[in-house]
Amino acid sequence: MGITATIREPAEGLTVPGKKSLDPILKTENLWKLYRAGKVDVPALRGVNFAVAPGESVAVMGPSGCGKSSLLYVIGGLAQASKGRVLVDGNDLSAMSDAERTKLRRSKIGFVFQRFNLLPTLPAKGNIAIAQFIHGDGFDPHRFEVVTSLLGLAGRLQHKPSELSGGEQQRVAIARAIINEPKILLADEPTGNLDSKNSEVVLQMLRQLNKDLGQTIVMITHNPEATAYFDRVVHMRDGVIVDGVPAD
Amino acid sequence: MMGELVVRNLIHRPLRTLIGVLAVGVEVALIVLIVGLTSGMLSETAKRIEGIGADIMVQPPAASILINFSGSPMPTKIGEKLAELKYVQATAPALLQFNSSGSVDTIWGIEPESFRAVSSGFVFLEGHDLEGPDDILVDDWAAKAKNLKPGDTFNLLNHDWHVAAIIEHGKGARLFVPLTTLQDLVGAHDKASIFLIKCTRPEHTEDVMAEARQLIPGYTIRPLSAFLSLMTSTNIPGLQTFINVMIWLAVTIGLLVVFLTMYTTVIERTRDIGVLKSLGAGRAFIVRALLTESAGLCLIGILAGIGLSYLARAAFLAGFPTLSILITWPWILRAGGIALLGAMLGASYPAWIASRKDAVEALSYD
Repeated sequence: MGITATIREPAEGLTVPGKKSLDPILKTENLWKLYRAGKVDVPALRGVNFAVAPGESVAVMGPSGCGKSSLLYVIGGLAQASKGRVLVDGNDLSAMSDAERTKLRRSKIGFVFQRFNLLPTLPAKGNIAIAQFIHGDGFDPHRFEVVTSLLGLAGRLQHKPSELSGGEQQRVAIARAIINEPKILLADEPTGNLDSKNSEVVLQMLRQLNKDLGQTIVMITHNPEATAYFDRVVHMRDGVIVDGVPAD
Repeated sequence: MMGELVVRNLIHRPLRTLIGVLAVGVEVALIVLIVGLTSGMLSETAKRIEGIGADIMVQPPAASILINFSGSPMPTKIGEKLAELKYVQATAPALLQFNSSGSVDTIWGIEPESFRAVSSGFVFLEGHDLEGPDDILVDDWAAKAKNLKPGDTFNLLNHDWHVAAIIEHGKGARLFVPLTTLQDLVGAHDKASIFLIKCTRPEHTEDVMAEARQLIPGYTIRPLSAFLSLMTSTNIPGLQTFINVMIWLAVTIGLLVVFLTMYTTVIERTRDIGVLKSLGAGRAFIVRALLTESAGLCLIGILAGIGLSYLARAAFLAGFPTLSILITWPWILRAGGIALLGAMLGASYPAWIASRKDAVEALSYD
């Protein structure tokens, strides 16, 4: 199966600028997330209502500590919501056990992090292949070649993360995130540790994945220039979304 | 993929892996060597006793099969009575004296003629039989260990002995002296520790033993052919317990080192565990990855332990030629299995901790 398998027919029900009306692939309803700090519950999310259509790319902006990363972790199933609902491709994460969320994450969600988070002991090839291994379908050489070629990694696969530039590491991380064709790609400030040149390369790749392959992307960023690569920008403040407008 | 992950993780921290491997290796070597030394010494002693060539050994009542630690409570006249029994071809008294001064030795006091009659004699590599009261026969292993040759003077039991001959090993003891001289030295006049009996035919052994039991009731009478099967750790009081304790100590050391190794591994790889969870790895995957790594480390350690056992044995035998260390594959496999089980136990708690780490906290770990 090739990378084109990620292109999916949009469903009806949600309006995305420049795209059809679609049912959301990702939706939160009155989402709360509380963290325990000593004896006090500190709210990171305070009733977030948020929806993303299939094939949509959304940038989430806001000041540090506004709850952007918490939102990403909760909709990605890495953290459990304290209250409210999270629907991922029709599955209610808030009603799922940790094991069920893990299984869903394995098949439907890919993560890209600011600090790349590659396994330091494995070369680039192993870092990508391990996602396939965890997914359970084993190593798919065709899919692997398509993804690594798309991300320009063909000549760097035997190198360990410490031997790769920041841009290359992030491209390996993106390859790892999309190798199993997840429906949703969640990126937590993926350009935060990159210079402007590499940031642009990564953003263009994310846009290419979105435009050419229909990959749904939610990305957190502090960089206003990065929003130009996305369909929509939402702003967060104090644990809530304060607006959500189409990007220019 | 799991194999590659495990191998690369082991290679990533070579010093830590080396420490873990050494700990398991020492654990395996300790087990193999302790069991090998006890069984080797017992087996070698039994073979030497069997190698005498006599058919029956008579000991005092309630005597241990560890004859080297016997006293000398039997009057030599018992031998004369035993010689009169039907089917008895010859009898020979022997006085056994344990010496731990300078070196650990057991000296047998014998009468050359009677001992020759029950054992068909020694094989002399150099020198001659016991002739004078201060003569001593030394077997080839002891001669090598003590660097002795015929004509040398050798002080033992605070007495200067004249080395009369180097004999082939395997005839009961490593050092033989005249019975009367040894009796005088230890103050055991007309006393013996054991009597050896040679029957007219081996098949008469049971008959002779039955008659001897009637003649000297309560005395310990054993066929020499049974010594090899009797000389096991389970027949020596306390020895099996000692071996078990040593095995448990070795396992505990291995378990603790593997525990610490894997625990530090888990702490160091906290972020990696978060990454694996973000990729959809479940708890079982995390546990499997760490246990596989521990098993890999342990298997290398077992191989190192086998090598270490043979090296240690070679070193011991070079320094102490009279030692016998029996390394057997059943015990190597058993030691390996014990080490593997210990490693799995040692790694199980760190693996459990890792599997339960919060993914978000793990991803933000520095």
